[in-house]
Amino acid sequence: MSVKARQRSGWSLAFIVVVVVSLVPVFWLLMLSLKTPASATDGSFIPHHWTLDNYRDIFTQSVFTSALRNSIGIGLISTALAVLLASSAAYAIARLDFPGKQTILAVALMVTLFPQVSLVGPLYNLWRQIGLFNTWPGLIIPYLTFALPLAIYVLSTFFREIPWELEQAAQIDGATPFQAFTKVIAPLAMPGLATTFIIVFLICWNDFVFAISLTATNAAMTVPAAIAQFPGVSQFTQPIGDIAAAAIVVTVPVMVLVLLFQRRIVAGLTAGAVKG
Amino acid sequence: MSSGAIAEPAAAPAPSRRPRLSDRTKAERKLAFYLVAPAAIVMIAVTAYPIIDTIILSLQRASLDRPGKNTFIGLDNFGYVFKAHLFWMDLIHTAVITVVSVSFEFALGMLLALAMHRVIFARGLLRSIALVPYAIVAVVAAYAWQYSWSLDNGGWIPRLLGLSGDPLSHQFGTYVAIIMTEIWKNTPYMALLLLAGLSLVPDELLEAAKLDGASAWQRFIKITVPLMKPAILVALLFRTLDAFRIFDVIYIFSQGANNSASLSQLSYSTLLERLNLGLGSAVSVVLFLIVGLIAVVFIKGFGAAANPAADAH
Amino acid sequence: MLGVAVTAVVLAACGSSGNGPVTVNWYVFPEPSGSFAKAAAGCSSASGGKYKISINFLSNASDQQRQTLVQRLAAGDPSIDILAMDVDWTAEFASAGWIRPWTGANAAAVSKGVLPGPLKTATYNGRLWAAPINSNTELLWYRKDLVPNPPKTWDQMINDSIKLAKEGKPHYIEEQGSKYEGLVVWFNSLVNSAGGGIVGPGNKVIVGPSAKIAAQIMKRLATSPAADPGLNTSEEGPGNNVFDAGQAAFEINYPFVWSGTQSTAPSIFKHMGYAPFPGVVPGMAPKVSIGGYNLGVSSHSTHPQLAFDAVKCLIGPQNQVTDAVKGGLAPVLASIYDEPAFEKSYPFHQLIKNQLENYGIRPQTSAYQDVTLAIQDTLQPASAIDPNTIVSKLANEIETALKGDSLL
Repeated sequence: MSVKARQRSGWSLAFIVVVVVSLVPVFWLLMLSLKTPASATDGSFIPHHWTLDNYRDIFTQSVFTSALRNSIGIGLISTALAVLLASSAAYAIARLDFPGKQTILAVALMVTLFPQVSLVGPLYNLWRQIGLFNTWPGLIIPYLTFALPLAIYVLSTFFREIPWELEQAAQIDGATPFQAFTKVIAPLAMPGLATTFIIVFLICWNDFVFAISLTATNAAMTVPAAIAQFPGVSQFTQPIGDIAAAAIVVTVPVMVLVLLFQRRIVAGLTAGAVKG
Repeated sequence: MSSGAIAEPAAAPAPSRRPRLSDRTKAERKLAFYLVAPAAIVMIAVTAYPIIDTIILSLQRASLDRPGKNTFIGLDNFGYVFKAHLFWMDLIHTAVITVVSVSFEFALGMLLALAMHRVIFARGLLRSIALVPYAIVAVVAAYAWQYSWSLDNGGWIPRLLGLSGDPLSHQFGTYVAIIMTEIWKNTPYMALLLLAGLSLVPDELLEAAKLDGASAWQRFIKITVPLMKPAILVALLFRTLDAFRIFDVIYIFSQGANNSASLSQLSYSTLLERLNLGLGSAVSVVLFLIVGLIAVVFIKGFGAAANPAADAH
Repeated sequence: MLGVAVTAVVLAACGSSGNGPVTVNWYVFPEPSGSFAKAAAGCSSASGGKYKISINFLSNASDQQRQTLVQRLAAGDPSIDILAMDVDWTAEFASAGWIRPWTGANAAAVSKGVLPGPLKTATYNGRLWAAPINSNTELLWYRKDLVPNPPKTWDQMINDSIKLAKEGKPHYIEEQGSKYEGLVVWFNSLVNSAGGGIVGPGNKVIVGPSAKIAAQIMKRLATSPAADPGLNTSEEGPGNNVFDAGQAAFEINYPFVWSGTQSTAPSIFKHMGYAPFPGVVPGMAPKVSIGGYNLGVSSHSTHPQLAFDAVKCLIGPQNQVTDAVKGGLAPVLASIYDEPAFEKSYPFHQLIKNQLENYGIRPQTSAYQDVTLAIQDTLQPASAIDPNTIVSKLANEIETALKGDSLL
C-alpha cells in the first residue's frame, strides 16, 4: 500500500474511533429510554422489551414540559440580551480607540475565571430577599453575566475582520449612514452574530449550578436541574427510564444544531481562541 | 513689529498638541463609553455584589437556619477550613482530577485536532460528531456515563471489563469514571482550540522539512508544536481552570459520596445543603484564590511563549 | 317577581365573589400507590368547598426533598402550605422558624391516640410542631428454610450467618452501610438498644459505652463472612434486591420489602419470615430508630387555618388505613393496629406496634443535618471502625458539628 493510502486508512480508522467514542454513551441513553422499567437494569444493550412509555411519561408530567419551556425561554432571552450588550461593546472594542480597552477585556476574562459555585450562595441569599428566587429574571441575570465575556471576545474578533471601509464607500456612493449600516455592514456581521448566538445559547442551555440553586418549581426550573430531581416510582428506586428519555429529548435538538451549524461553531470558538 | 511678536505665535501651538485631545477623539471615547458601559455594568455589578457578600460572610458565623444571628468571628472560618481533613482531601481530589483529565484531554485533543485538520473525506461530518460531547448538556453526559458504569443500574462497562463488583462503590472506580466522563466531554473543546493553532502552521515549512528528511514526529515536535505555543497556552489555561471548578459531573455521579467530592462540591454542599453560610463562603473564597493563583502561574510561567498573542490586542 | 330575580342575582354574585375553594398546596414524597392523592381528593370534597388540597410530588430521595423544601422555605415561598417532613427534620425546621407550632384544640386533635414514638418525633422543646401521618421501623426478615428459629440478638444473628457460610449456604445479612442516613439509623438503633443515646437535651453530647458496643457490632458484621461485599454502598432498595436474588439469609429493612418480595420473587417469598429487630443486650427489648413522616404547616402559608384543617383530615383514621393497606405505610394511630383489614396485609403489625411504643429515636437537635454527617463520616466504612477510639472520636466530631465549625 502506498504511503498516501496507508495514511488515509490510518486517518479513516481514527475517524471511526472518534465516531464510536463520541456516540456510544448517547446510544446507551437512547437504549435505556426505550426499555421497560422492569428491564431497565438488566444490562443488555438492545432492549428485550421495547416501550415508548418513558417518553409518554415525561411529557404527561408537567415537570418536564415546564422545564423545557423554561430552558428555551430563559435561554433565548439571556442569549438575545447577551448578544445585544456584547455587540455594542465589541463594536467599540473593534472599531474605536479608547483607554480602558485592556481593562474591559481583563474584567471579562476575570468573570470567566470566577468559580460559579462561589456565586450561588450570595445570589441565593440576595434573590430570596428581593423576591427573585425561582423566577426567570433570577436566572437570566447570572446567565447574562457569564455569557458576556465569551460573547464579547468572539464578537470583537469577528468585527475586526469586517472591512469597515465598505461602509464609507457606500456613503460616498450616496447611501445614508443608516442604509450603509443595514445594507452593507449588517449582512457582513450576521455570521458572527449567529455564531455567537449559538455558542451563548449552548452555554445557557447547559447550566446546572445556577439552575439547581436559584430555582425550585415549574415556574423557573430548567431541564438540567429538573432531570436531576425527577420524582421516582417508589421511595427507593431511581427513575432511569424517565431520566434517559428526558436526556434524549434534550440532546436531539442540540445534536441537530451542531450538525447544521458545525462550521460556524468551529469558526467561532477557534476565533476566540486565537486572539484570546 | 519687534522680533518678539513674531516669536510668540510660533511657540504657542507645539506644546498644546500633545495634552489636549482632538474633538474627534473625545467624541470617539464618549461613544465607546456608552457602547461598552451596559455590558461592563452588568458584568461588574452581578459579580461584584456576590463577591463582596461572600467575603463579608466568610468572616462571620452565619447560618441560613438561624437567620438574623450572624456574629463576626474574623478569620476563624478560614482556620476551620484549613484545619479540616476534608478540605485537603477535596483539594487533592480536585487537583488529581484536573491534572489527569487535562493531560489526557491535551493528548487526545491534539490527535483529534490533527485528524480534523487532515481528514478531507466527510470533514464536516467528523467535526459535527466530534462536537457532540461538547454540545451535550453536562448533566446528560454525567447520567449517560453513570448509567454505563453503574453495575446496580445495569451498566455495560463493568460487564465489558469483567468486573464483579460495582466500580462506583469504590473511590478509585468513581474517580476513573468521573475522569473518563470529563475527558469525553471536553476533548472536543480542547481539540477546537488546538485546531485554531494548527491552522496557523504554514504547510510550506512542513513540506520543506519533509524534503530535508525529517520524520513526521520530528516535524511535529520541532515545527508544529513551537508554532502552536500561543494556542496551546490558551487551551491549557482555559481547560485547567474549568477542570478545577468541576461540579456538574461529580454531583450527578455521587453527590460527593465515596470521598469523591471536589472543592466546588464542598462549597456548594456547605452553603446550600448544610446552610452554613460562613464556612461555605470561606471555602468559596479559598477556591477563588486558588483559581486566581493557577491563572497567574500559567500566564506568568508560560506567558513568555505567548507574546505573539498579546500583540493581537 | 323582579325582587326575587334581583335577590337571586345578588346572592349568586355574593357566592361567586367568595372565590371558590382556596388551594392548599401539599408537598410530599411521591407516594406510588395513590393513597395520598386519594386522601387529598377526599378531604377536599369533605371540606364543603372551603379548600382544595393540591398534591405536589417532591423527589423520592429524602435528601433532595429536604433540599427543595429548605431552599423554598428559607426564601419565604408562600406557595407551600403543608409539607411532609421526614421525622428527623422537626428540630431544624422548628428552630429555623419555618413551620408553625400546633397548639390548643388542633394539637389535641392530631395527638389523640397517636403512638408514643411517632408523637415524640413531632415534638421539640416541649411543643408540638407537626402532625404524624405515617411511621416506619425496621424489622428482621429471614429465610425460614435456612434458619428455623430467628436470632434474638445481633451476636446470635452474626453467628448464625457464619455457620451458614461454613455450610456453603446463602448467608449474607443485608444492612444499610452506605454513607447516608440509613447508616445513622442503624447506629442509632444499636445505641438506643444498648441503653444509651447520642445527643441529649440541651445539645449535650452523651456518647458513651453504648456507642462502643454499637460500633463493635457494626465492625463485627462488616468484617465477618456475614457481610455482603457491597455493604459499603448498600441501601434499602439494593439490599432487598440481594435478598430477592436468594443470596441473603437475613435482612434488616422496612416493611415495604414484604409486598416487594411477594411480587418480585415469589419463590423466595415462600420462605420469608419476619421477626423483631435483633436486640443488643440479651433479654433487653431493642429500641429501633423511628422513621416516617410528619405533616407541618409552613410559617409563610397565607391560609394557615385552612392548612391545619386540611392536615387534620389527611391524617384521619380512614385515610391512615388506606395508606397502610394500599401504600404499605405504617399508621401512627394505635387503634388501627386492631383493624382486621390492616392485620391482613400486615401480618407483622404487632411487631411494628411494639417497636413504635418502645422506640428508639435519632438525636433531636436543630443541627441534626451536621450531626448525622459527622456520624456518617466517623462510621463509614463500617469495616474500618476502631472500637477503642470510636467513642472519643464520635464525641469530638459531634461536638464540633453542633457548633457549626466543621466541614462535613
